[in-house]
Amino acid sequence: MLPLVSLTLFLPLVGAVLILCLPKPATRTVHVIAIITAALTLIGALSMWFQGASGAGFSQVEELQWIPAIGAAYRVGVDGISLPLVLLSAVLFLVAVIYASSLRERPRAYIALVLLLETASIGTFTALDGILFYVFFEVSLVSMYFMIAGWGHEDRQRAALMFFIYTLLGSLPLLLAILGLYLGSPEPTFDMRAWIENPPLEGAAAMWALIAMLITFAVKIPAVPLHTWLPAAHVQAPTVGSVILAGVMLKFGTYGLVRFALQMTPDAFREAGVVVLVLGVVSALYGAFAALAQSDLKRLVAYTSVNHMGYVIVGVAVAAITLDPSVRTVALDGAVLQMFSHGLVTGALFLLVGMIQDRAHTREMGELGGLLKTVPMLGWTFVLAAFASLGLPGLAHFPAEFQIFLATLSASPAAVVVILGIAIIAGTFLKALRETFLGEPRQRWQSMPDLSAREWLAVGPLLVLTVGTGVAPSWVLGIIHRTTSALAL
Amino acid sequence: MSAVLLPIMPPLIAAMALLVLRRGSTALVLGGATLSLGGSLWLLTRVAGGQAETLLLPGLPDMPLRMVAGPLEALLTVAVATVGTFVLIYAVGYMKRESGLCRFYAVMSLFLAAMQALVLSGDWVLLLAAWELIGLCSYLLIGFWFQRPEAADAAGRAFLYTRSADLGLYVAVFMLIGSAGTGEIAASLEAGGSASTAAGLLLLLAAMGKSAQVPLQDWLMRAMAGPTPVSALLHSATLVAAGAILLIRSAPLLTPEVLLVVGLVGGVTTVAAGVIALAERDLKRLLAASTASQYGLMLVAVGAGVPLAALMHLLAHAAIKSTLFLAAGDFQHARGGTGFDQLEGVGRDRPWTFAGFALAALALAGIPPLSGFFSKDAVIAAALSAQGAAWLGPLALAGTLLTGGYMARALCLLWRGSGETRPVAGSAWMTLGVWGLAVPATILGLAFGPIEAVLDLPAVTAGTLAVLLGLLAAACGLGLGWLVPAPRLLGPVYPWARRGLSVGGGLTVWVGRPAMAVARGCERLEGRLYEAVLSLGRAGLFLASAGERTERGLFKIVLCVGRVSLRVATYVRFGDERRIDGLIFALVAAVRALGARARNLQSGLIHHSLAISAVAIAVTLAVLLFASSTSF
Repeated sequence: MLPLVSLTLFLPLVGAVLILCLPKPATRTVHVIAIITAALTLIGALSMWFQGASGAGFSQVEELQWIPAIGAAYRVGVDGISLPLVLLSAVLFLVAVIYASSLRERPRAYIALVLLLETASIGTFTALDGILFYVFFEVSLVSMYFMIAGWGHEDRQRAALMFFIYTLLGSLPLLLAILGLYLGSPEPTFDMRAWIENPPLEGAAAMWALIAMLITFAVKIPAVPLHTWLPAAHVQAPTVGSVILAGVMLKFGTYGLVRFALQMTPDAFREAGVVVLVLGVVSALYGAFAALAQSDLKRLVAYTSVNHMGYVIVGVAVAAITLDPSVRTVALDGAVLQMFSHGLVTGALFLLVGMIQDRAHTREMGELGGLLKTVPMLGWTFVLAAFASLGLPGLAHFPAEFQIFLATLSASPAAVVVILGIAIIAGTFLKALRETFLGEPRQRWQSMPDLSAREWLAVGPLLVLTVGTGVAPSWVLGIIHRTTSALAL
Repeated sequence: MSAVLLPIMPPLIAAMALLVLRRGSTALVLGGATLSLGGSLWLLTRVAGGQAETLLLPGLPDMPLRMVAGPLEALLTVAVATVGTFVLIYAVGYMKRESGLCRFYAVMSLFLAAMQALVLSGDWVLLLAAWELIGLCSYLLIGFWFQRPEAADAAGRAFLYTRSADLGLYVAVFMLIGSAGTGEIAASLEAGGSASTAAGLLLLLAAMGKSAQVPLQDWLMRAMAGPTPVSALLHSATLVAAGAILLIRSAPLLTPEVLLVVGLVGGVTTVAAGVIALAERDLKRLLAASTASQYGLMLVAVGAGVPLAALMHLLAHAAIKSTLFLAAGDFQHARGGTGFDQLEGVGRDRPWTFAGFALAALALAGIPPLSGFFSKDAVIAAALSAQGAAWLGPLALAGTLLTGGYMARALCLLWRGSGETRPVAGSAWMTLGVWGLAVPATILGLAFGPIEAVLDLPAVTAGTLAVLLGLLAAACGLGLGWLVPAPRLLGPVYPWARRGLSVGGGLTVWVGRPAMAVARGCERLEGRLYEAVLSLGRAGLFLASAGERTERGLFKIVLCVGRVSLRVATYVRFGDERRIDGLIFALVAAVRALGARARNLQSGLIHHSLAISAVAIAVTLAVLLFASSTSF
């Protein structure tokens, strides 16, 4: 049988190497190679999807000797938590390279970076070895740094600096935690499956490891107050960078929260659960209010990410706190689906904001206005994405948020105050729609072109999936639920 | 296909077909609505015997979506489909000169489908979904003319008000599912338990948002910025009705305390909104305020513990209010607006429409033998027999009095005076729509007996006292409204009523501004946090530059070494020239190259440093790993 996971994982890297090896390729060639590579990767991810994941433990595991003496090996595999994220990554990277196919400025290096990032992202979600996970996690950060610094907007150096500081401070604690887990294991191994099956640390050691992980993942998610890099990075990042950053890379944090913090130090997490829950509630509400105050459309979308990822934290914290397995399953179902939905919806929103910026060269909502009349297709797709983001039923966020809130009320009723976020986010998007799209069309934007075929191809699939996930969430939830209901903590 | 889906699928399919074809096809939209009406009627005949139809659809894990059609639900689907069909027939005429018809018809069809889904939902998830979807549809319809600032504002306001109140429904649903362990509405209502008081109050909050009860009534008046068929549909059988329907269906859950609150909210609203309607100087806004007032009466009935009375008033009001709005839309086209000064005497110029309007107006006031007489009687009887009759009775009667007052005022305005009437395009469609609904508004009273027999709800006992008091209030209201001008009737309250009885600027001031203040506070905090991290970063850079200075020193030393070697080279020239020279020159070249590399190292660009440190980390890691692998 084909090693599907490894093939999917390294295909983009092969594409990147190919692009770098070609002597002076035409811009067109670069983009064609990129799209073909990303499409093949998506096919790989889809085949993984149809192979599916059995309930307990990991499926489709592939293992190779690496450094047997210390128990580190190349181990990859998936379960119902990582599989949707792998599929999400493959979809988002494909639409990203499609959107990027109009890029003329140093396309070779840019596309190579994007493809490298794709390998790093899929690797982070599929790695089953502590060292391997850390390597992929770091490589993705470095590639994103170059993307912002090299192709960002007006103030990219500052944003890149911000990103750099957080990167440095953020990832070291995780390394310490991984080493701690390694040293605590009865048989020295970096095998994450072993760590999940028998959590190696207890008592104070587990708590310290948890704190270290929480720092790393809180930066990555990002949770208030460690989130300040996010708006800066998003506003300055090129559109594709924003899509990948919000759509895929933020999930490293929440994925780590489930995979490492919840599964490897469950008892410590249960003890500290309330703190994490408060962190999640504060993040969600703070992100919502901060979004409400924005006048820059891209910053606004960035802050709604803080809000939505806050709900994921709440879901995971509830899963850690509760003693009722059925409530835990509902919470985790919601949290994982929320990651998937957020990738689709925020990816679409960042693409659309990028399209507006390409045309108007501004993101200030006050300067735009009446765009629904001027560019109806772009306008209505934005309306759809905005309503998806504010959690309208029939669209992707609703089933996820419903499950998170439902579990929250059962486990810790006070935390249900987080639901205020959905009203504030509704206000935020209504205000944004009112200022940007409704009202009299302006003379200044009269000649603005509507969506091109390239742009449709980029944003269309995300919207289709958003509606599909909202109307029939069971196609994703089925696979998530099988794993979360078999989870023993 | 299960019979439960018959009311929902035709308009849903029509909406999709309209969007796919991108053409405002009259046949499609009317076909969808008519088939929905036929399906509803068929469903009603099937379930009238008492056995409910159910259907399970895949939903969330362990929580399937459930549709249930008992007699009550089937009856409501018929009401929704009837109003929907005639409103759409009317809209064909009304919207004749508009562009964007495809969008209009598609959203109207979707609205109808969503409302039918809400009525038929048998579990909370589906109910919540349909509840929010009708909110979206009303946003899109109120904002149909989105280029007009007032329409754009009104749409946003309507969605935000109802969404905020919907939080009550969300939390109530979570509590009910949590305590009953199932999402099924019927089962969770029976389970009740300790949470039922809190859950009941939260459901009330959600219903207040949708049914525009005080203090959440403001959005309804502004929603008049949308096309008139939209108002007719929103106010009679869909959006606003959803709140009352929710309370009627969840009546078994409501504890006595909650019932009292429901009744008082309804009573206060019926009076307050009635006063606002009486002071209004725009026909459509008058009707909007009247809607809030009539839903107040329904809440009074629910609060009195007789949801059947509320249901009857809901059905009668659906036919009456849609007739009134549709007629108002006809006058609007004839005179170019709905302001009182524009509409004077228009009734004489449009006699057919006016006849429909007048019938409906008298029905709403509660004049026998029109439908509103029976339903209002039931409400008043319920209020007088309730536990809180001392409160609810007078409030219900005052609401009835005010209803007579503002309806007489409207009739008086339309009949007296004169103005210039324009020919109305699509008049035949519009008249058909008006009369299609005016007929049920007139004769629906006949159906109340059979309805009562079919439904399994506590019956109403209408005593003579209730009938007499109701008639007296209605007659007094009509007389006063026809004879006395509103400013004199309301006296000192009039200016306040003109401002919509808002307290200190209304919800915008009490909720909107604090929310924005918090948001701006967060934004300021954001700026501070950002600066703090940035200065931390600068401190790091300073350290790095100190490191760079050290490195520069090293570089100089290397250069020195190079010079020294050059000296050495000159000294040893006399020795074994070939070998030693070669060696020395190679050394010098190597040192030079090293110097050049060192210069590259400190190029000052962060990303170079970052790349190098990443590589360095990787190399160190690899060395460590291999070292340890050999030592084990």
